[in-house]
Amino acid sequence: MTDRMVPLAIACAIALFSALGLVLARRIVHCACLLLVHSLAIAACYLLLAADFAAMGQVIVYSGAIVVLFLFVVLLLPQDGVEPKARPGRLAIALAGGGVVGAVLLSGATAVAAASAPAAPATVDFEIKGIARSLFGPQLVPFELTAILLLVAIVGGVTLWQRHTTTRSDAEGRR
Amino acid sequence: MIALAASLVSTPEVLVLATSALLFTVGVVGLLLRRSPIALLMSIEILLNAGNLLLVLGARVRNQIDGQTAALLVLVLGAAEAVVGLALALAFFRPRPDADIDSPGEVQG
Repeated sequence: MTDRMVPLAIACAIALFSALGLVLARRIVHCACLLLVHSLAIAACYLLLAADFAAMGQVIVYSGAIVVLFLFVVLLLPQDGVEPKARPGRLAIALAGGGVVGAVLLSGATAVAAASAPAAPATVDFEIKGIARSLFGPQLVPFELTAILLLVAIVGGVTLWQRHTTTRSDAEGRR
Repeated sequence: MIALAASLVSTPEVLVLATSALLFTVGVVGLLLRRSPIALLMSIEILLNAGNLLLVLGARVRNQIDGQTAALLVLVLGAAEAVVGLALALAFFRPRPDADIDSPGEVQG
């Protein structure tokens, strides 16, 4: 796996810096574009970690569907979703919260990294057959629950939007 | 700086572990810093991606495929969350002049 160190380092750096740019960018359109770069870099990381199917799912679901959805919503929001400038107090709170979370996570990561042995060469079937066996075997219940989750999300999205349009037409009718 | 990072990060597993931790930190900072509802949802996507990266790494290190399937389930969760969150943001912020999560006064609780 050491031969994958350099591409993995590049993919991780792109993912990290695009995420940082996403958080710091002022225009929401730039944020959406950086989210696209970020999700593609994460997909590259999955590919280098021998998770081909997860990489494909990441490209299709995140880069294909979610980023396009974000772009549509940015276009529909007032002023293209330009947000007011953050107050200094908010910046301090954000940096303090991020510092605490980062310190806890990095200390935990160093402890885990010091305790664990390097990965053995892959012995199990990481191909799509193995994923299917896992999805329809031990993880059948969570997998089926995602169907209900998606249905609830669709119904919720439609209901929220319909209520919004009916209240708006009511207001226009009253006028 | 780069040499220090290279000496600390010896194996690809440690590199991905550190990336995941840093990505989660960046997501938390974005969640606390941004005021636009869309940017908040994007920060949540970063958090989900950081967790997913760790799941895939765990599957690779432990040689168990269940981590990858769990990552796929989280992917579906992220999609559902984006749909509901964006619909909520649109319904709530479209009639307003600016998209600022601090401004609405009618939200209770």
